Amino acid sequence: MTRISLTFGLGLATALAAGWFAFPYALYVRRAEPLDFRHKAHAEKSGVSQCTDCHALRDDGSFAGIPQADVCAPCHNESMGKRNWLVNFRQPANVWFSHAIHMRRAKLDCATCHGPYGESAQPVAYQQDRISGYSRQVMDMNTCEKCHRERKVEVGCLGCHK
Amino acid sequence: MSARYGMVIDLDRCTGCGACMVACAAENNVPALPPKATDRTGITPMLVHKVSNGQEGAEFREAFIPVTCMQCEHETPCVAVCPQQAVQVDPATGIVMQMPQRCLGCRYCMTACPYHARYFNWWDPAWPPGMEKTLNPGVSVRMRGVVEKCNGCHARLHAAQEKAAAAGNREIDPRDYRPACAEACATGAIQFGNLADESDPVSQAAHSTNAFRLLERLGTEPKIFYTSDRPWVRQLAEPHPARGDKEVKHG
Amino acid sequence: MELTRRDLLTWGGGATAGLLLTPLPWKVLDDTSKWTQNWPWIPQPSRAPIEVKRSFCTLCPNGCDLRVRVASGTPVGVSPGPQSALCPLAFGAHQLNWHPGRLRQVSHLGKAASWNDALAAFRKAAVEGPIAVVDAYPRRAGSSVMENFARRQGGTYCIILSAEERSLAPYAAWSGAPVTSLGYDFEHARTILSFGAPLLDGWGAPGRVPRLWSTGALKLIQVEPSLSRTANAAWRWIQVPSGSEAALAAGLARVLLEEHISPARAPLPPTTVAEAAAQTGIAEETIRELARTLAAHGPAVAIAADGDPAVAVLNFAVGSIGARGGIVRRREGGPSYLTADNLNGHFRAVLIDATVPWDFAPQADAEVFRFAAWNGGGSRAHWLLPAPGFLEELTDVPTAPGSAVDTYAIAANLSTPPADVRSPAGFLAQVDSALPSVEDIIHARCRELFRTHTGALQGEETVPVSRFAAPERLEEALRTGSVWVAGPPRSGGLRCRFEQWPQPTAPRATADWTATWVPPVLPPLAVKLYRESSLREPPAGRSI
Repeated sequence: MTRISLTFGLGLATALAAGWFAFPYALYVRRAEPLDFRHKAHAEKSGVSQCTDCHALRDDGSFAGIPQADVCAPCHNESMGKRNWLVNFRQPANVWFSHAIHMRRAKLDCATCHGPYGESAQPVAYQQDRISGYSRQVMDMNTCEKCHRERKVEVGCLGCHK
Repeated sequence: MSARYGMVIDLDRCTGCGACMVACAAENNVPALPPKATDRTGITPMLVHKVSNGQEGAEFREAFIPVTCMQCEHETPCVAVCPQQAVQVDPATGIVMQMPQRCLGCRYCMTACPYHARYFNWWDPAWPPGMEKTLNPGVSVRMRGVVEKCNGCHARLHAAQEKAAAAGNREIDPRDYRPACAEACATGAIQFGNLADESDPVSQAAHSTNAFRLLERLGTEPKIFYTSDRPWVRQLAEPHPARGDKEVKHG
Repeated sequence: MELTRRDLLTWGGGATAGLLLTPLPWKVLDDTSKWTQNWPWIPQPSRAPIEVKRSFCTLCPNGCDLRVRVASGTPVGVSPGPQSALCPLAFGAHQLNWHPGRLRQVSHLGKAASWNDALAAFRKAAVEGPIAVVDAYPRRAGSSVMENFARRQGGTYCIILSAEERSLAPYAAWSGAPVTSLGYDFEHARTILSFGAPLLDGWGAPGRVPRLWSTGALKLIQVEPSLSRTANAAWRWIQVPSGSEAALAAGLARVLLEEHISPARAPLPPTTVAEAAAQTGIAEETIRELARTLAAHGPAVAIAADGDPAVAVLNFAVGSIGARGGIVRRREGGPSYLTADNLNGHFRAVLIDATVPWDFAPQADAEVFRFAAWNGGGSRAHWLLPAPGFLEELTDVPTAPGSAVDTYAIAANLSTPPADVRSPAGFLAQVDSALPSVEDIIHARCRELFRTHTGALQGEETVPVSRFAAPERLEEALRTGSVWVAGPPRSGGLRCRFEQWPQPTAPRATADWTATWVPPVLPPLAVKLYRESSLREPPAGRSI
């Protein structure tokens, strides 16, 4: 092999390794959740079977998100609910996502977007992108657009943004 | 079923109090600008213009014309010129949606808008310490360098849509969606409704022969209609060069 | 083998080509753009859930009802309640509590002090001499505490009348009824002749006359030297030189009486119609026509904005005293309060409530304890005491000034106050522990309302008081935004007499558009009205 193709090839290999392996490793910083909450254990022990048993819609249609202390209180003595959870699916401030519309109108199952999270034995490790600040798991706009395109649901910009 | 949201503003019932302007700014997280701001650099998505009949003494009268984005339907000027496609007419509601997140701040749309209904963020928004807690969670905060305008109080439309979906309804309850300006108007001069719904009284008022629009001759088909029984007000709002009418002067 | 520059360059070439085959450049670009969307110095709204609560605006005695959107103890939006409309300043009021001028610390002669210092000084003053208490929003539960204190201490409680009440002062003098028990029955009037009262822009609740006017059922005639917004929108604007209003009133009365179109009897005014025309510059025929309108398009009522008896007296000829659509008395009895401008005597100290206008100047040698939520600057008060701000304390809402029927409401506190604020009622309770608390007074008032079995609660529906099972239920309904409304006043409840046609009093200076707003600072968003637009004039002499 010529020297040029060797050095070129080395450069190529370095970049490929950096781009495909080193970069993803270095880009995300792992952060610990305040509590090691295990969905599966809770589902088995407390008899909750549906996601909506703890993650419900409020009366005005807004989504309650991660349960507050009052949901945990019936079983736990200590203040379990009020924590600074690192939310994997937290969208940017300019995004408006309505759980009510996706759950009731589109009749989507929670697992469609969140995966079988409710059956997970361990919480997903929170990996934060050092540049953008968002979680590695967060759903990006392309994914939303893809599903909307497939299901032929047209929404304008302000249909999802605010 | 798509809607066409618009307004009918009765200029004979507008007293020029300015409640709509303040309510709009509060709803849309518009900051109170620093003292160096003027009426040219200010941000007033709802702006009430003061005009007069040009008479003297006891015959002198003023009128007040609330102006927001006119939600133009035909060859919407701002949509046509935006290099970023940061503004779009929503086919489902007829609202001209301005996306500050996409805007790169070229201000071409501000030039294109015949109604001067677009405003530029010359400065980063700032509130005194603690006041940012009073921001409306339904509306995002814009940074400097982007253009903004009336978005039809979209946060309220979102809330209405979410409430309808949670209750299992396809359509929103019209009573749940009322922009801040219409809600704030003490005399009921500003009425908001769905122009595509024939049973909506606002739609009926808009389609009556009494209603007029600003700069109709431009053909942008705005969805904000005005009514007035005062001939001089009608004349000011739609001057005809052929008649030798003077263009309207502000303030 | 030595590494040369060419090696480096080819390696670089390979690396560049390779990078383009990895997600790195695209991800970095994408992530960087997201990073630019989130500058840390751009404030973000709360993510807490929003609850819609009901309360009442406490920034002026009109007590308009509100729907407030609250996110974790902080109001994030103000809307009118079902019964009301709001003034422009109310829509920015939820931001007032964080105004830079917010008073957060006790100060004594310009230096920081503590509540204990203030209490010590006040207790000392209370022992050394009588204390005057000044209240510009009387009949609240907190007012009752202040009044109680003054009585027990041997001091004097006095009030400052609102503009609407000042305009009713002549009828109080002519009837002996307390001015705070009188009102205008606009709801049944068909013509209002206003001498300078900005009915459509800052006089009375914005949801009152503007709403009645906008239905078209009300003829509004505005008498004013210059074109105010009310005059501009009125059915007729009668432009008269300042100071000649009394002459016009006299001329109108004369026509009503001479032409026998007045529904009442009254002595003839000393001015003839010709004299009135000369003084006002209005043609005689116009004056006659106006008077005929008042008679033909009744019930009519005249308002003398600055309380000039020579203008108010016109109502005798119009026949609106004690009549439907005119000046009415809401109820029998009711206390008569001393007003601050009639305060005489020497006081050791003066306690000024937060509701008193900033420019109020008490007597020179008393020690002044000034409660305020916002600092208007340049205060000569010895003690500046931080009071609760907008919706930061539970209070009640007595009848709005000038209302034709008695009402009562409770304004729930919806905003968490800063740590170190105290209301006068709370302060005085630490000086005199026998004083009742605001909550106790509110309970008592609700029990009293329940006991009287009169009136109804207006909320989602109107429920007569008699249908409530217990006073606690009634209080609960009030705390969640219902308003108690009394039955209509009985006609003939007000009888006035005067001996001689009154002399005109000196006209007051015309107030600007912020005149009825009590706090010394405006809500920050008010700048939209005069700085970022030319809709209004900048407020006169007020810190922004």
